[in-house]
Amino acid sequence: MAKESTEQYFRSIDVDKKLIANIDNGIIIVDEALNIYYFNKWLEIYTHLKEKDVLGEKLNSVFANINVKTLQRKIRTALKMDSPSFYIASNSKYLIPIKINRIKASGFTHMRQDVSVIPFDTEKRLVALIISDQTSIVSMNILLELNIQKIEDLNKELIREKNIIDKRVLFMKINNEYLITDCSQAYMDLLGVQKIDIYLQNFFNYENLKSAEELTKEILNHIQEKKVYKYEKITLTDKEKEITLLNTLVPEYDKNGMHIGFIIFSENITSAKLVQKQQQILLQNSRTSAMGEMISMIAHQWRQPLSVINTIIATLKVKKELDVLDDATLEESYDKIEKTVSYLSDTIDDFRNFFKTNKELSLIPIQTIFDKATNLLMGDIKAYKIHYTENISDDIKINTYKNELIQTLINILKNSIDAFKDTPRENQTLTVKVWEEPRYVIIEIEDNAGGIKEEIVGKVLEPYFSTKSKNGTGLGLYLCKTIVEEHLNGELTIKSKGVNTTSIIKLAKNLENKKEEI
Amino acid sequence: MSELSLTQDEQDVLQELMNIAYGDATAVVAEMLDAFATLSIPNIRLIETSALLHELKGLEGESYFFSTQAFNGMFSGESAFFIDTQSACNLAKHLDLENDEDLDDAILELTNVLTSSLTIRLAQEMNAEIKFSLPSINKLPYNKIQTNKTLQEYSQVIVIDTEINFKDQKINGEIFILTKDGSIKWLKNQLSSILEALM
Repeated sequence: MAKESTEQYFRSIDVDKKLIANIDNGIIIVDEALNIYYFNKWLEIYTHLKEKDVLGEKLNSVFANINVKTLQRKIRTALKMDSPSFYIASNSKYLIPIKINRIKASGFTHMRQDVSVIPFDTEKRLVALIISDQTSIVSMNILLELNIQKIEDLNKELIREKNIIDKRVLFMKINNEYLITDCSQAYMDLLGVQKIDIYLQNFFNYENLKSAEELTKEILNHIQEKKVYKYEKITLTDKEKEITLLNTLVPEYDKNGMHIGFIIFSENITSAKLVQKQQQILLQNSRTSAMGEMISMIAHQWRQPLSVINTIIATLKVKKELDVLDDATLEESYDKIEKTVSYLSDTIDDFRNFFKTNKELSLIPIQTIFDKATNLLMGDIKAYKIHYTENISDDIKINTYKNELIQTLINILKNSIDAFKDTPRENQTLTVKVWEEPRYVIIEIEDNAGGIKEEIVGKVLEPYFSTKSKNGTGLGLYLCKTIVEEHLNGELTIKSKGVNTTSIIKLAKNLENKKEEI
Repeated sequence: MSELSLTQDEQDVLQELMNIAYGDATAVVAEMLDAFATLSIPNIRLIETSALLHELKGLEGESYFFSTQAFNGMFSGESAFFIDTQSACNLAKHLDLENDEDLDDAILELTNVLTSSLTIRLAQEMNAEIKFSLPSINKLPYNKIQTNKTLQEYSQVIVIDTEINFKDQKINGEIFILTKDGSIKWLKNQLSSILEALM
């Protein structure tokens, strides 16, 4: 029953005509000369033209933009093939100019159209132009192409950077079963190994950590806690060369945040370790050398008191022989000898203290530091007729490692005295100025002992560089620089102009207690 | 012999059918170009896509227009047309084209003309009907051909070398009719039927 009524309904209407009238495409039927035979409702709506007004008109008269030659070629081709020819929206833009006015800007002023030129009646040479709106698709395609280009560019950049990382950064990856799953080319090159030697090996076996129980335990603890861990490890290359690596174990997560293993970044610190070792030897050498200089100063310092004791003893001897030695003289002489011996003992203590490294910081007036330093040098200063002046405010205090600072000052002052010894001159001056800034204390020591040539002034702080004519180890100023920079958190610079040489020490006024042994 | 390769007889029949289809195509191309045109008799081969990609290595360093057009029906697949830059220039010159967009349009038209007339006639001879989708075009260097999805998605290729001559101008191109195994089986069956009818 339902079937019959449906069939009756469809017989009563012209299905094709109804569909074509309402289809969401533009349809124009034209002949080879472009005369219009049909113009559907869709086109009426979009072009604001009525079919009755355009029928019989030439398509290129109604729409002046149409390239007649191309359209006629496509019509001829379609009719000849008895198969459609086409206009493609991405190339031809549009056939019928239809302005678009969308809120979402597509960048197009006119609707982009695909047009199929379909043979309609080959005898009458009629074709149907089926026009479909492709604006959104073309717009999306353009956007897509731009984004694909961006992705391609980013991908190239990513590959380039990945290659750089692979060649430059030492790393290996392990999974949660401790199997090595990846390692950089740089790592393989450094150790002289191939992928096959490393891949899927157990990390602990490969790193030969069996004998390093403590380290293994630490690594495992950090792995279990998924924490970053740094450790040093000596490894052998394929040529049995020892290299020291500073490894940093970092947990690795995938894009969803799932923990997938660890990356071990390595830094080859073999050279740094060597330099550190050499520096230790250098410092040891320089301290030995400084000690020698100190002993020479002690000897100088002791000469006068020893001479005093010697004189007292000789006087006592003479008086005894002449039998004029009374108890008062003896008592007086004992006192003098005791005081002088005590002075000698103090001198030794002072020197010994300078070679002790402080563990504790002391807040001390800078004047006291200079008093202790110059006390040991005053003999020479006077002996070589050096006019020594200090301009130090009494209230400047510094929280620092005093012995290291005294040792540094003695070294610098001694350098000036030695320069005067080598080339004596008129009006020899050695001037000390100390002032403070909000966070620093600045010490300036200036002599006029001849200066340093411009071409070598930059080298005087380097190890084994000496301007002294003899007995110069070339380590004194290097030691000073090391102490100032690495232990006193300061800077040491040497300047020279004419006959003057100026040493400037910039020191942290309040040093934090983080000293290491030197 | 693999069920997806053609026997010598089948290949001969296919060549004959293509010769007939080419006659039609020549007429359409002449109509399109509005000039007397000849198409060289095509050499037809059925090869695997991997073999085609290997052959295409010969194009390395050259720049090609590559247009494709899908067709559907009992015999379905996608036709691909390669045309070198010089040939495209010859086409542009002859059609008096003003810009690159017009040239792309003309190449697409040529693709449509050649592939439609060839495949429609081929289908007609085998009592089948096929419909075409809109063609699309890319200008791509050789190194992109290997990664082109169109070529990768199909298993077998009917390779047709062609040369269009008109007014002392030459357009060299290659048409590949890319098909999947189902269509090759259908083609093989139809060719066998034609052979049996001829016996």
